[in-house]
Amino acid sequence: MLAVLKKEFKTYFITPVGYIFMGLFLLIAGITFTTGNVFSMSEDYANGTLSGLIIVFVLAIPLLTMRIYTEEQRQKTEQLLLTAPVPTWQVVLGKFFAACLLFGLTLVVTVIFPVILSFHGRMEWAVIIGSYIGFFLLGCAFTSIGVFVSSLTESQASAAIITLFLVLITWMIDFIAGYMPQSNLSGIIFAAAIAVILGLLVYNSSRNLTVSGLVILGGLLIAGAILLIRREVFTSLITKSLNWFSLTSRFYNFPRGILKLSDIVYYLSFCGFFVYLTSRKIEKKRWS
Amino acid sequence: MIKAENLTKSYGRHLAVDNISFSIEKGEVIGFLGPNGAGKSTTMNMMCGCLAPTEGKITINGIDIMDEPEETRKYVGYLPEQPPLYFEMTVTEYLKFVGELKKVPKKQIKEDIDRIVNLVKIADVKHRLIRNLSKGYKQRVGIAQALMGNPPILVLDEPSVGLDPKQIIEIRNLINELKKDHTLIISSHILPEISAVCDRVLIINKGVIVASDTPENLSRRLTGSDKVYLRIRGDEAAVREALSGITSGDRITVAPCQDEDALEVTLEAEGEEDIREKVFFALSGGRLPLLQMRPLEMSLEDIFLNLTTVEENA
Repeated sequence: MLAVLKKEFKTYFITPVGYIFMGLFLLIAGITFTTGNVFSMSEDYANGTLSGLIIVFVLAIPLLTMRIYTEEQRQKTEQLLLTAPVPTWQVVLGKFFAACLLFGLTLVVTVIFPVILSFHGRMEWAVIIGSYIGFFLLGCAFTSIGVFVSSLTESQASAAIITLFLVLITWMIDFIAGYMPQSNLSGIIFAAAIAVILGLLVYNSSRNLTVSGLVILGGLLIAGAILLIRREVFTSLITKSLNWFSLTSRFYNFPRGILKLSDIVYYLSFCGFFVYLTSRKIEKKRWS
Repeated sequence: MIKAENLTKSYGRHLAVDNISFSIEKGEVIGFLGPNGAGKSTTMNMMCGCLAPTEGKITINGIDIMDEPEETRKYVGYLPEQPPLYFEMTVTEYLKFVGELKKVPKKQIKEDIDRIVNLVKIADVKHRLIRNLSKGYKQRVGIAQALMGNPPILVLDEPSVGLDPKQIIEIRNLINELKKDHTLIISSHILPEISAVCDRVLIINKGVIVASDTPENLSRRLTGSDKVYLRIRGDEAAVREALSGITSGDRITVAPCQDEDALEVTLEAEGEEDIREKVFFALSGGRLPLLQMRPLEMSLEDIFLNLTTVEENA
């Protein structure tokens, strides 16, 4: 795993990608800081400047991950990784960590901004450190999406575009959630749809009609039971679920100085899930 | 050392490798020979753990490679059809990465690189970017990569494809060098390529092993005339009588010809002698007109026609 991490990290700086990513990100961060904090004499770093940088990162994320697996497939080097005495998940994790490391380092450089501010005013360091942790976790979650997408295609361009699209969608979820129907009925339909989708997924992987039928039936029964016991669960269920899944809405706790374990666990398991998906995708090649 | 049992691989409906079994002893040099798309690369990919067999199993030193993939992959160095090179690295950087990936101890990585670089003769390019190397050098870097960690088994998929005759000879010498302390499995679609270095040849066609023998035996079977096909005008009893001096009756089959008024006869010698002259004199002695005579083993010959491209005086 360490070998892959080292190799990927080095590759960022052998190719121009690392420089472009760091350079552009820091340039925009610098501009935001100068205009938002220095010129407007504002001390609001965590909530204003740093949170504003997320959108920059969202746009830059494809740069970080687009080549991470596409190049292995294109140069046929993945056979080397597949035949190495290393489990696939470790290879994927190595690649993922390399991207996170580069992103983390870039983030560390921006610590210089609050340090400058601290000469001229009182900074709430707890809040700032909290925001940095949040930003880093959010960034890792986005990166894990990017790593997964790059395992799907051989073309860097499509990997970049799909990643950008997916990350923007997750970014927009909060916004979309507000427009979802709020009624009980819509909640029930939503729950039923999830049960059916789960059933179809089970059918897709097992080709077993009985089991997938049972999954759908079980899901519907549970939904029905909840409907009888606690009807209010279904009120605006769609919005609630989307908000729960939203990566960004969880982030806004951090600049407020709230460091919730559940948020951290959510981000880490989100990353874990996509790393797992990626290694499944790679493993699948052995069986196709 | 390596044992494959009832190996099958299908891609959807397409059967790439169909129920093949073989075993390879320590120190052997095995050649996989077959036309393009015969299933050579698929078989090799399965041996290296790159692909999982649809059915059947492969064991290395008695361990099933699907049970302990990480452990068994340490024993195998693999050069895929297309060498897995990172173009943006230098040769040394690349070999170091491969060493680390294969979990070779740090001290040994350095020793290995020094040794291998001299062995495959890439010492003069070791600080150059792989991107800028010629095809022959890239191929050798690919072999160097397989040698990292000094695995006892080497699997080389078409090591000399796309090289010029001089480079082919160099690779062949290299293989002869590697033979001393590795079990080698090499694939090719060129017969002389394989027969020059291998102890045993497995001929694969359409996913099935059609022959497995030493190169000498195979070439004899190719040119062999101990089994002949004849087309004779006459009646069966006379033909059998005339040929009875050459071989015993049960080695002669006679059937009416479908194209013309004649008999189709196949004849197999008892020993490994050339019987064609005897056949001619026996038939002319019996005044039986011989319309056609050709050595059999055509099936193998046909395969070889597909397989072997003439090698220019390399």
